Amino acid sequence: MDSIELRRLVVRSYHVNEVKICEKFSFNNKVLCIDNSCIAPLLEDELIKKIDIRIIKPHEHDIEINTIMDIIPISVKALGKLGSGITHTITGAYVMLTGCDEDGRQMHEFGSSEGILKEKLRLNMAGTPSSQDIIIHVDVLLKGGEVYDRHLPLAAFRACDEIISHIRGVLRTQDARSADEVHEFYDRVRMGAKKVAIVKQVAGQGAMYDNWLFPDQPSGYNGGVSIIDIGNMPIVLSPNEYRDGTLRSMD
Amino acid sequence: MGVGPSTKETSLHHFRDPLLDVISEDTDLDLLGVIIVGTPQDNASKERVGQRTAQLLEAMRADGCIISCDGWGNSHVDYANTIEEIGIRNIPVVGITFNGTQAKFVVSNKYMDTIVDMNKSEKGIETEVVGENTVNKTDARKAAAFLKLKMRNNTR
Repeated sequence: MDSIELRRLVVRSYHVNEVKICEKFSFNNKVLCIDNSCIAPLLEDELIKKIDIRIIKPHEHDIEINTIMDIIPISVKALGKLGSGITHTITGAYVMLTGCDEDGRQMHEFGSSEGILKEKLRLNMAGTPSSQDIIIHVDVLLKGGEVYDRHLPLAAFRACDEIISHIRGVLRTQDARSADEVHEFYDRVRMGAKKVAIVKQVAGQGAMYDNWLFPDQPSGYNGGVSIIDIGNMPIVLSPNEYRDGTLRSMD
Repeated sequence: MGVGPSTKETSLHHFRDPLLDVISEDTDLDLLGVIIVGTPQDNASKERVGQRTAQLLEAMRADGCIISCDGWGNSHVDYANTIEEIGIRNIPVVGITFNGTQAKFVVSNKYMDTIVDMNKSEKGIETEVVGENTVNKTDARKAAAFLKLKMRNNTR
């Protein structure tokens, strides 16, 4: 069947074999270095009391964690905006954000996942790391005694995105030729085929029951808008906009 | 009740969503777009966003749609309403959501006759294990097959 190509999105993936805590953010020879000193400025936010970054290697999941707030891919636009142009993404390592407050309240809405990591995370699903992946664990301790509403988990999401933005900085400048995989995706019209749409109903009521749209960077926070703040009204994304991380989970 | 840990779609899930992969690669289907709709608190708003979603699909001249929902309980009120609004407009609709044994629909209607259950747990419950009860490619392929059948039988 004939098809008309509307727009192209190129996703270059860069594989990570090792993640280390170092003195400077860098990404060379499949080794990703994270500089812990990026945490200090984030503690100026009075809602954030402590942030720990821990590197969890495959098969070392016998550790205690707070409730899992999100699993986040590390991606950055190298050219263009969400949905077209070129995106660089990391494979082999994903960010896991966990959090609670000083009173021990876990950051969740309905059911929580704190406990032993290997019992609380089903690996090898679309939304979770594979059994071979490294987990960059960001754990945020939030201020106690606060009213449990959106501002509290949002502070953790914002801080985590700041940390990821440093990694985006060293991912954006990777050489095209050193990419491990290159994928091309097209928004296209398939002439004569049945016209269908996907509808995704997502959470939109409050703290840890929220979704973010249109961030500046793929699966990011900054620049985005909450579906709650746009009245939960339906929004149409092109397939490639959706594929490029326009919808950010906050539930 | 809303979105539990085992049904919750993470940002990584949205980034590599099996439903998008299956539908966008299917050469029998012309994917118009992905509609994101929220789940407001009060009933009037729930009805409004469902109606707007259905009207959007009609305006897009969609021959059919697949609607997924990663929550249950209260979220299924929105879900049933939106499916009904789509069905009333004579647009074939297939659902994907979590039912298992724990999350039978709190409300339903005649348009909810093709729902793919994304439960993966043995007991059919919210296990609080992140990722466990989320959509995979098999679920997406089932939904695509149901939709094709429904569209073929639709005499509109």
